[in-house]
Amino acid sequence: MNQTISQTKPKSLLYLDGVSVSFDGFKALNSLSFVIEPGELRAIIGPNGAGKTTMMDIITGKTRPDEGQVFFKGDIDLTKRDEAEIASLGIGRKFQKPTVFESHTIWDNLELALNRSRGVFPTLFYRLTAGDKARIEEILSTVRLSARRDDLAANLSHGQKQWLEIGMLLAQEPELLLVDEPVAGMTDAETAETAILLKEIARTRSVVVVEHDMGFIRELGVKVTCLAEGAVLAEGSIDFVSSDAKVIENYLGR
Amino acid sequence: MYRILQTLLITLCLLVSAHVTGLRAADDLGALISALGTAKLAELDDRIAALAKSGDPRVIPVLEALGEGNLYARKADGGVFLTTEKGTNLVLVDPLDGADIGEVPKGELQKIKVNNAVRRAVRSALGGLTLFSADAEARLKAAQSMRQTPNAGALEAIETALAAEKDAAVRKTLDEARAVTLLVSDRPDDDKRAAIKALAEGGGREALGVLTSALSSADASLKPDIEAALQRIEQAQAFWNAGQNVWYGLSLGSVLLLAAIGLAITFGVMGIINMAHGEMVMLGAYTTFLVQDVIRGSYPALFDWSLAIALPLAFLVTGIVGLAIERSVIRFLYGRPLETLLATWGISLILQQSVRSIFGPTNREVGNPSWMAGAFELGGLTITWNRLWIIVFALAVFAALLFLLKRTSMGLRMRAVTQNRHMASSMGIRTPWVDALTFALGSGIAGMAGVALSQIDNVSPNLGQGYIIDSFMVVVFGGVGNLWGTLVGAFSLGILNKFLEPYAGAVLGKILVLVLIILFIQKKPRGLFALKGRAVEA
Amino acid sequence: MITSFLLKSLDRSIVVVVAILLGLAIAIPALNLLTAPDHPLHVPTFLVSLFGKYLTYALLALALDLVWGFCGILSLGHAAFFALGGYAMGMYLMRQIGARGSYGNPLLPDFMVFLNWKELPWFWQGFDMFWFAALMVVLVPGLLAFVFGWFAFRSRVNGVYLSIITQAMTYALLLAFFRNDMGFGGNNGLTDFKDILGFNIQADGTRAALFAASALTLALCLVLTTAIVRSKYGKVLVAVRDAESRTRFLGYRVEHIKLFAFTVSAMMAGIAGALYVPQVGIINPGEFEPGNSIEVVIWTAVGGRGTLIGPIVGAILVNGGKSIFTAAFPEFWLFALGGLFVFVTLFLPKGVVGTASAYLARRKAHRRAADAENARDNLVAEPMAAE
Repeated sequence: MNQTISQTKPKSLLYLDGVSVSFDGFKALNSLSFVIEPGELRAIIGPNGAGKTTMMDIITGKTRPDEGQVFFKGDIDLTKRDEAEIASLGIGRKFQKPTVFESHTIWDNLELALNRSRGVFPTLFYRLTAGDKARIEEILSTVRLSARRDDLAANLSHGQKQWLEIGMLLAQEPELLLVDEPVAGMTDAETAETAILLKEIARTRSVVVVEHDMGFIRELGVKVTCLAEGAVLAEGSIDFVSSDAKVIENYLGR
Repeated sequence: MYRILQTLLITLCLLVSAHVTGLRAADDLGALISALGTAKLAELDDRIAALAKSGDPRVIPVLEALGEGNLYARKADGGVFLTTEKGTNLVLVDPLDGADIGEVPKGELQKIKVNNAVRRAVRSALGGLTLFSADAEARLKAAQSMRQTPNAGALEAIETALAAEKDAAVRKTLDEARAVTLLVSDRPDDDKRAAIKALAEGGGREALGVLTSALSSADASLKPDIEAALQRIEQAQAFWNAGQNVWYGLSLGSVLLLAAIGLAITFGVMGIINMAHGEMVMLGAYTTFLVQDVIRGSYPALFDWSLAIALPLAFLVTGIVGLAIERSVIRFLYGRPLETLLATWGISLILQQSVRSIFGPTNREVGNPSWMAGAFELGGLTITWNRLWIIVFALAVFAALLFLLKRTSMGLRMRAVTQNRHMASSMGIRTPWVDALTFALGSGIAGMAGVALSQIDNVSPNLGQGYIIDSFMVVVFGGVGNLWGTLVGAFSLGILNKFLEPYAGAVLGKILVLVLIILFIQKKPRGLFALKGRAVEA
Repeated sequence: MITSFLLKSLDRSIVVVVAILLGLAIAIPALNLLTAPDHPLHVPTFLVSLFGKYLTYALLALALDLVWGFCGILSLGHAAFFALGGYAMGMYLMRQIGARGSYGNPLLPDFMVFLNWKELPWFWQGFDMFWFAALMVVLVPGLLAFVFGWFAFRSRVNGVYLSIITQAMTYALLLAFFRNDMGFGGNNGLTDFKDILGFNIQADGTRAALFAASALTLALCLVLTTAIVRSKYGKVLVAVRDAESRTRFLGYRVEHIKLFAFTVSAMMAGIAGALYVPQVGIINPGEFEPGNSIEVVIWTAVGGRGTLIGPIVGAILVNGGKSIFTAAFPEFWLFALGGLFVFVTLFLPKGVVGTASAYLARRKAHRRAADAENARDNLVAEPMAAE
C-alpha cells in the first residue's frame, strides 16, 4: 500500500502517509494514509471519535502529528507550517460549528476572506478595488446572500451562516477545501442546495467533505473514505463502502 | 516571649525547691552572701567560689545580680540585697527568700563593684552550679554557655557532670563543651586531637568559631588537624545551608499553596477569575483576630485553642461571603472571564474598604498560641514551630480537598458541572447550586488559609493584595484545573525563590521568579500539568 | 495613501469630539491666562493641570481600548507602559534641574548624590536632550510591548492568561523600580522638577501650554486610532476578537495583527504618561501598582469599550467623580469605585457611549421604519391624485 501511495505523491494534491497522533495515550489517528487528487470531491465518513476532525486539524496545521508525512501539491510539507501559512498556501477549512465574524456585516466578512495580501500594513492601507467589489458581489449571489449584504452576520439563520462560511472559503480561493459537516442542522431543501453548491465548487478545486448524513453523501455521488479508530477502513464508491462488512459493523450498524 | 516564660518557670522551680530544702542552711548561706558585701575586689573570686561550692540553687540569682551589677550592700548594717532600679530609688529583695523589702534611696546603699575578671568568675561559677541543677533545661543552658566561653578551670566540673548526665541533648552539648574546654587546657596533644575530631563530628557554628580561634594559638603539630576539621565543618555547613534553604523554600511553598489552593478551585476548576480571592484570605485573618480578641477579653485560658476555634469560623464567614458574591454577581457572568475579573476586583475594593472602616487601616495584633511559638533543632537546621505547623496545615487542607473532589458525591457533582454543564443539568444536578457551593468552598478554604497566614503576616486590610498575584502565578504555573499541579507549582516556586534569594537578594529574586514564570508560560501556555487534546480548545 | 487612510476617520461624531478637544485646547488656556482671577469665567491654574491630567488619562484609556475593545486583549500592563513613558519624561526633567538640586551637583540628580554615586549610569545618558527623551517616551514602552507581545502572542497566550501575565510583568516592574540601585530614585521616584524646554514648570503659561499639548495629542491620537480601526486592518482586529481561529484559517497571522495593535497602544500609553508627569510634578513606582492598570480598564468600560469616544468620556467621568468624591467623602471613594466595577459589568456592558449610541441607532431604525410606513400609506392614498 505504501508503495502505491509514494508513487502517487508527486501528482497528488494532498498526500497523507502513516500519520499518527495521540492525546494523553489515546490514539486519535493511527497510521492514517490517503491521497486526494487535484479536482477531486471526496466524502469522509466514520463514527464519532474516528479521527475526522483531528485529521482536518493536522492538515490545517492546528495539531502536529507525532509521526507521518503530510504533503500538499507533492512537495510542500504541511507538518512544518502553521494555520495562517497553510491557509495562504490554498487550503480552506469550514468548521463543524459555523464560525463567521458576527459583529461584521456579510460584506465585510467576505472582504476579510478575499485572497489579498494579509500583512499588517497591506491591510492598514487597503482600498477596495472595483475588481474586489465585483468578486464579492459574485460570491454573494453564489451563496444567495446578496440581499443581506449590509446586515450583521450575527443576524443570519443557522443555514445562512453555513453558506456565508462557504462563501468566505470561496473568497479565499483555495485549491483544497475541507468542509466539516456542512449540512448539520439544515432543512432538507437547504441540504439539497448545499450539495449542488459543493458540486459547483468542486468543478474548479478539490473538496473534502466530512459528513454523517448518508443521504447527502449519496446525493454527492463521489468516492467515499470511511475512517474508524484513526485509520482508513474502506475506500470506494458509496455502494462499495456501505456494503463492506467492516464498515457495517463499525459504523452503519446491522 | 518564650524566653521570658522559660526563665519565669525556672525561677519558680528554684523558689519552690528552695522552700522545701528548708531554712536550715539559711544562716550559713546568709553569711556567705553577706561576705560578698565586705570583700575587696581581689577577694571576690574566693568568695564566689565558696558560694558556688554550696551548690545551693538560691545562689544563682545572687551571682547573676552580682554579674549584672545589681547586688548592693546596705551601708547601715552591711546587709546584701538584690535590687532593681526605680527612679532614684532602689527596690530591695532579700537574697535568701526573695521577699520584697521595699524602696530605699540609692544613697543608703553601696554597689558591690565588679570587673571583667570577677564577671568571668561569676559566669563560670554559675555554669558550674547549673551543670548540676535538677532542671535539664538549666543544665543545657549551662553547658551551652561553657561551650561558648571555654574556661580551662571548668574542665573537671564538666567531666564530672558528663559522667552523671543522662539527658541526651545535654550530653551532646556537654561533650562539645568538654572538647572546646580541652583545647584551651594543658592536656596532652593526643587528647586534644581526639577533641578536635569530636568537634568536627559535632559541627556547627560554635565549633567553627572555637576551632578558628584555637588555630592561631595551637601548637604547630595540631594545626593540620584543626584545618582539616575546619574544612569538614564548613562542608557540613554548606550542606546544612542548602538544607535550610530547602526548608525555607518548603515553608514559602506552603504559604503559596495555602494562598493558591482556594483559587485552584475558583479559577482552576470553575474558571472564575476571582480577584477578591486575596480579600477572602484577609477576612479569614480578621476572623482570627476577632476570635482572639474575644478570648483575650473573656476566656484567656482558651488562648491556645484560638486557632482551632477560628478555623471553622473563618471557613463559615468567608464561605458565606463567597456564596453571597456568587449569587449576587458572578452567576451573571459565567462564560465572560474578563468581566468576572473586573467585577471581582470591584468587590475586592469594597471588602478592603469595609474592613478598613470597621477595624482601621493599621495592623491588628494576632498572637501565636504557645504550641506555635519557638523553634527546635534538627541536625543543623533550625525549625520554627509555626512554619512547621503551616506546612502540615497546608498539606492537610490539600489532602482534604483532594478527597472531597475525588471521593465524595459532592465532588463528583462539582467535576461533572465544570466539565459539561449541559449534560450535568440534564442528569438532574442542580447546577446553580453546585456553582454556588463550589465557589463558597473555594472562598472558605481561602478563609482558612487566612487563619494560618495571620500567624506569620501582618493582619491589615491590605493583607490579601500581597497574595493575589502570587496565587495566580502558582495556579497558572502548575496548570489550571489540576490540584496536583498547584501543589507542585507552589513548592517549586517557593524553593526556587529561596535558592535565588542568597544570590540575587529578596526583591530581585522575586522579580526573577516572575520573569521565569512569564517565560515558562510562553513555552507551556497551559502550565506544568496541562490537559491535552481537542476538549481543551473547545 | 496616508491621507486617504486618515480621511476614513472623519465620521461625524469623531469630528465633533476632535473639534471639542481643539476648542478646549484654546479656550481653557485663554480663560486661565487672559481673564482676571476674580472674573467669573476664570479657570485657576490648578484646575488647568487637573483637566490636563484627565486628558492624559483619557489618552491612556483610548490606548487600552484599541487592544481591549477592538482586539479582545485585556492588558493589565498599560499602567506599566504609562509609567515607563512617564519615567522617560521624568528623567529629562531631572536632568534639566542641573545644579539647582539640594546637593548642587551639575550632573547627578539629588538621589544619586545621596546614594554616593560618582557618575551618571549609562541609561541616563542622552536624557538631557528633549528629542532623545521624547523618542524614549515612545520607544521604551513600544519595545517592551513588542518583545513581550512577540513571545506571548506567538505562543498563543490568550484571554485571562494574557491578563495575568501582563499583570505579573507590571508587578515585576513595580518591584524593580522600588529598588534604589535600579537608578530611578527608588521609593521616592523622580520629582522637584524645575524647567521643561527652558520654561518654568510651575508657571501658569507652561501649565496652560501643557494642557493644550495634552488636548492636541489626544485629538491626534483619536484621529489615528479611528483611522486604524476603520481600515481593513481594524476589521481584522475585530475578527480576531470575535473568532480568532477563523481569522487564522483565513490566512491572517493573528500574532502579527495583535502585536501591531499592542505595540501602538503601548506607545500611546507612553505618550500619555509623558504628558502626565510634568502636570502632576512627580513619577514614582506607585504608578506601576497592578490596581492602576485595572482602573484604566474600568474607565474604558464605563465609557464603552469598542467605541472610540467611550474611553475618553469614561476616563473623564470616573476621574472627575474621583476628584469630587475624595474631596467630599474620602472614606466612600473605594466603595463607589468598587460598586462602579460591579455595576458596569452587570448592567452597562456597553458603557455609557455604547448604550447611548445603540439607543440612537434603534431610534433611527424605528424612525426609518415609520417613514417607510408613511411613505407606503401615501403611495396607497395618492395614486388618484397622481393621475
